[in-house]
Amino acid sequence: MKAPDISADRLHIRDLAPGLSNLLWLGGLVALVAGLLLATASGTETFLRAYLTGFMFTLSLALGALFFVLLQHATRAGWSVVVRRIAEYFTCGFGILAVLSLPIIIAMVLQPDILGIRAAIHDIFPWTSELIVWGDNTAAHPGDEILQGKSGFLSTPFFVLRMVAYFGIWLWLSHFFLSRSLQQDQSGDPQLSLQMQTRSYPGMILFALSLSFVAIDLLMSLDPHWFSTIFGVYYFGGSALGFFSLLAVTMFWLQSNGRMSQAITVEHYHDVGKLAFAFIVFWAYIAFSQYMLIWYGNLPEETAWLTVRQSPTWAPVSLLLLFGHFVIPFLALISRVPKRGRYGLVAAALWILVMHLCDMIWLVFPHVNHGGDHAIASFGVLDVIQIVLCTLGILGLYLGRVVRASAQGSLLPERDPRLPESLAFHNF
Amino acid sequence: MAVTVGEYDNTFETPGKRAPLVVGDHDFASVTEAVCNVNERPMREMPLIWYVLFGIAVALTGVLFGSIGYLFLTGVGVWGVKNPAGWGFAIINFVFWVGIGHAGTLISAILFLFRQTWRTAINRFAEAMTIFAVICALIFPGIHVGRVWVVYWMLPLPNQMAMWPQFRSPLLWDVFAVNTYFTVSLLFWYVGLIPDLATLRDRASGFRKWAYGLFALGWTGAARHWHRYERAYLILAALSTPLVLSVHSVVSFDFAVSQVPGWHTTIFPPYFVAGAIFSGFAMVLTLAIPTRALFNMKDIITLRHIENMNKIILLTGTLVGYAYAMEFFIAWYGQNPNEKFIFIARAFGPYAWAYWTMISCNVIFPQLFWFKAIRTNIAITFVISLLVNVGMWFERYVIVITSLSQDFLPSSWDYYWPTTLDWLTFIGSFGLFFTLFLLFIRFLPMIAIAEIKGVMPQARAGHDQADGGH
Repeated sequence: MKAPDISADRLHIRDLAPGLSNLLWLGGLVALVAGLLLATASGTETFLRAYLTGFMFTLSLALGALFFVLLQHATRAGWSVVVRRIAEYFTCGFGILAVLSLPIIIAMVLQPDILGIRAAIHDIFPWTSELIVWGDNTAAHPGDEILQGKSGFLSTPFFVLRMVAYFGIWLWLSHFFLSRSLQQDQSGDPQLSLQMQTRSYPGMILFALSLSFVAIDLLMSLDPHWFSTIFGVYYFGGSALGFFSLLAVTMFWLQSNGRMSQAITVEHYHDVGKLAFAFIVFWAYIAFSQYMLIWYGNLPEETAWLTVRQSPTWAPVSLLLLFGHFVIPFLALISRVPKRGRYGLVAAALWILVMHLCDMIWLVFPHVNHGGDHAIASFGVLDVIQIVLCTLGILGLYLGRVVRASAQGSLLPERDPRLPESLAFHNF
Repeated sequence: MAVTVGEYDNTFETPGKRAPLVVGDHDFASVTEAVCNVNERPMREMPLIWYVLFGIAVALTGVLFGSIGYLFLTGVGVWGVKNPAGWGFAIINFVFWVGIGHAGTLISAILFLFRQTWRTAINRFAEAMTIFAVICALIFPGIHVGRVWVVYWMLPLPNQMAMWPQFRSPLLWDVFAVNTYFTVSLLFWYVGLIPDLATLRDRASGFRKWAYGLFALGWTGAARHWHRYERAYLILAALSTPLVLSVHSVVSFDFAVSQVPGWHTTIFPPYFVAGAIFSGFAMVLTLAIPTRALFNMKDIITLRHIENMNKIILLTGTLVGYAYAMEFFIAWYGQNPNEKFIFIARAFGPYAWAYWTMISCNVIFPQLFWFKAIRTNIAITFVISLLVNVGMWFERYVIVITSLSQDFLPSSWDYYWPTTLDWLTFIGSFGLFFTLFLLFIRFLPMIAIAEIKGVMPQARAGHDQADGGH
């Protein structure tokens, strides 16, 4: 089993990057502007929810990439060196994601009383409303004791502080690992591998805490009465799965464009497919644990969150997740044939990405109308278009940044000491 | 090619080169010799300490069965369980032993799928330990049912009374989950043993040849045998992998499906699994460290293996710490007064001594493994592995006892005191565990001889270095 000869491989996308990133940025901006224009028809709240959906979807992919990089260093992995740089480039988007988080943060903190933003943000994150939390001593606004109890954590200043901390952690980690890895392309110094390995362990702890709490802050607190200890793990499962799918698609796209033709072998697809398969099951395991325990315990404070998702409006989406996010991809990827046949894996990966977006919609959109009538808010074509536009917008801007970043160096950690092992490795 | 202990520290690894997993001047023959020696030496050459431990273990096994006999003749009232704590030692011990029984299958199945070749030195006796731990675990719910003569009602057997088990009860799910786990673990262990049993058969004569031969299933080492063996091993690994997660998840459902504060929380399944692996690896270390010294296996179960297990203990201990912290945070965040009460009561109430024992053994001491000097220090590792065992037992104690003894009705609150018989039964279960384990190391190869050869440099003679690593 000899290592493939990669001397003829094209290991960069410098020729494609400028045009492609401009195209992605332009497309992203157009989609976001179109979404904004559509907001006049769909309403501000729908736009903000769609924006949050697209943001959490894109953020999860970047976080999944960061997890992959940390994991490879922490485990001294050999097989993955060939594809690790791709993941490192995908962690370059935290800067633009920080910028893209500003509309949400500004809306929450300043609550400008224009275009219905204030009312919308109070509907989306009820804990940001003074009136809902503390009331004004009238029968209409008695205040909310539970939210008062949580106000030490669910308060806008502390929320902003946390967001700054999360992005600080992510920017620092992603910059550290990419810059050392690129440095190794020049020097080939094995010490850099050891340095990255040492840093990956505390990095993993910071990653786990920041991911859990960003999920609590931006997704769980949408229904501020509801709580679930597993929620951070749930978002993590989807993030990792989303990234493995994105990685498979990216590997395929690069090879279709004549890059890394020999370096990436069928064995790498197979391993990425295995990881995706494992996380399909992991996600389902976590989702089942959360659902089953709440259903069985049957405490109203917890089931309210699921009752909305089992209402006629949302039950189809819940079932779509059960089958589309678990059963179908599970059956599709259980055999080694599709994992080693690139088309099968990429088709499954694209499907999973769409399902992962549906999962984000399922987390963000279902809610009870706050008109006092407790009707489940409806969901229609306009909402879907708004979600698609916002997601394409944020994803486009993020990918534009990733493509631009990837022009700065090779697609392969060319002098990583474990590269020969990765090139030659075989599943058996 | 071979390296010697003392000259070479295989806990260090230069990126790009994989450290050797077998040290010393070993070749295939000397590995076989080293492992089989324990099984083949005359009984009188077994170390004295083996006899001493075996004597103690058998005596404690007697205590276990004596206690059970007394329990059957008298009734569950001889235990400390009463209102409000209707669950006591039996459930704690059950969860404790099932947890211990998680390392073996994780090592054999999940580390196999992850191509972690260092597992080959420890998988055999970790799997054996798993099976013995699950046997100990299964005893406790079995004897806790009260009317033990109808214990078979837990199985869905057709009968004239048309009585069926309550399928909505997680205790019934336990029956299925643990039994499935036991069956698959046993099969997996046995399949892995076949080539080594054949090795022992080929070296033996007389009755031993016949006995090993019976279980070696006519293994000749033909290419066709190896091919089927490896397919079977891979398939069993894939089947066992979900079982590693499912068993302790189902055990956690026993608590989490209820509405008892401190029990009803959604993170329980993965948190229990992490805790189980944590305690399982601690027990593997507790057993491996004396065994490798006693039978001179230090070249095969090297310092690197010890260090790797310490890293897994650090990882899973930190995951358990995450779960404790998240539970505490959400108990406050959820603003449910009962939930808040029980968590504060755990930390500062009447059982605070148990809670802080748990926290220090599970969260604080394993954090010492951040330091390589401690990870590679055998004596400290041994002490920490014992502490983790203690801590994980107390974790179940804290969960079961604190939530039950301070229930929703303050007038019924009562402090839980285990009886002498509770203690005797618990200690006796260690006797059974060690009896089985000591018999195992005497009569079966404690290292997977065939597998360890596959990770030695000789197995890849003539191949590129770059080819290695898996």
